[in-house]
Amino acid sequence: MAERPLSDIVEDAFIRCRDLQAPLAARLQAFADELRRLSPHFAEAVDALVNRLVESDAGATAPKVGEPMPAFLLPDEQGRLVRLNDLLGEGPVAIAFNRGQWCPYCRMNVNALARAEEEVTTEHRHIAAIVPDRQKFAMWLKSDAKAPFPLLTDVDNGYAMSLGLAFFVGDEMKHMMVNSGWDPSVSQGTDNWTLPIPATFIVGTDGIVHARFVDPDYRTRMAIEDMLAALRSAR
Amino acid sequence: MEMHQIRYFLAVSETLNLTKAAERCNVTQPSLTRAIKALETELGGEVLRRERALSHLTELGQRMLPMLRQCYESALTAKMVAASIREGEAAPLSVAVSRTVALRPFTTMLRELSCAFPGLQLQLRRGTGAEVIEYLKQGTAELAIAGPLDEPWSRLDAFPLFEEPFHLVVNRTHRLAGKIRVEFTELASETLLINTECEMVEELKACLEANDIVNTATHQVATQEDLLALLDANLGVAIIPDGASATNGFRRIPLMRLELARTVSVYTVAGRPRAVACATLLNLLRAADWSFDARTAQQGRAH
Repeated sequence: MAERPLSDIVEDAFIRCRDLQAPLAARLQAFADELRRLSPHFAEAVDALVNRLVESDAGATAPKVGEPMPAFLLPDEQGRLVRLNDLLGEGPVAIAFNRGQWCPYCRMNVNALARAEEEVTTEHRHIAAIVPDRQKFAMWLKSDAKAPFPLLTDVDNGYAMSLGLAFFVGDEMKHMMVNSGWDPSVSQGTDNWTLPIPATFIVGTDGIVHARFVDPDYRTRMAIEDMLAALRSAR
Repeated sequence: MEMHQIRYFLAVSETLNLTKAAERCNVTQPSLTRAIKALETELGGEVLRRERALSHLTELGQRMLPMLRQCYESALTAKMVAASIREGEAAPLSVAVSRTVALRPFTTMLRELSCAFPGLQLQLRRGTGAEVIEYLKQGTAELAIAGPLDEPWSRLDAFPLFEEPFHLVVNRTHRLAGKIRVEFTELASETLLINTECEMVEELKACLEANDIVNTATHQVATQEDLLALLDANLGVAIIPDGASATNGFRRIPLMRLELARTVSVYTVAGRPRAVACATLLNLLRAADWSFDARTAQQGRAH
């Protein structure tokens, strides 16, 4: 019998961590710890990748608070083209870059965002997630996370790269990911092996970045409370 | 990874000269070298063997070049879209479609595109595989949709969209029309309608031969329209792509051991600036869920 891939082995732990009654940061950490326990080897490779990204100042040139968020035109999970301006028509928006449907941290993050959206949607504040995944996979993530908001497809990470938020996975990590059952080339439909740095931008109706969170360590995400506070104080 | 790092690397790959590359990018040579070093850190190895006037790409550099170019073009497109979203502005778009590829699966994307670009002005060309390539080379088409194009041109970028199976199709009044399935041997006495301009004609012939269908009578046509007209007149039977066989009035019968399929891809020319409408259509096509579309199309036909 073929050996179960790591992605399969950690699924139960993922569900358990996702459904903990705890802040997002604690749940992400619980899952990262579980992954480290199950495969110290993989966790070390992730540490090395994150260190490399930190050393090369990855994400440093992304739009800062007070700067305009560059416009985009991206298809959502149903193939409808969505502009940043369309989203800002109703109020401030949180734009959350995620790595894809295959990534447990992103599944947890999008799920937490989905629950947060419920709190602010009546206040005309919204969320949109951007992933490099094609529609079929974006749709999967949307239903897995029960997300009421659009999941936009950024083909080849083009928009992310134009913001300085894309990076190359590298050969070593690539092989390790494929062997572990995490293969973004399937959902992306390309062998480029680039991924976005998960980042969240809260954009006001004037198109200006009101708050942001950029961390090359993809195991940490913007705290939901911080995002909600920023969304509420944005105009 | 930053766009300028890739831009500098692409300039070096084209000039093979650090001084010239720096001039072209309008930067000093030290900043160019620094940026490429940063890219190398990210890629985990040297992409360039540095010799002032005789620099050349390493094996890693060669291997990464097409991918880096594609990433750069995607990012450039995103930047361009951001800069040029203006309401109502004229947006011409020329597309070449193979004569044997049905347009229907793509009309939803074209409609979406025309909503996003009210100034969209579409120019649609039809052609054989060879003609489609020619349109792309000459720049009369910015984007093409076709089956496999046997073309070694290195600047041709192909993005596979979906697998399209071939089916046996007969007129409703044909003697085989009532059958649940058909064996290849039953085609020996039939006249086969063959579109000689189909990208897959050689594969079709090989498939027939492999199943002992040789010296069978044929009617040869050069367009799908003519093939369907002859099928309508019950002048023969045809083995044609799924999209083309969706026309009402014909019967599609499972042909045992028929394992003929083609990959329908979208083609563009690498290194050529893309207009915003073209770039957006390319993204729509590549992001689309073709498996779902194929299924619903299938269901649509079943009713």
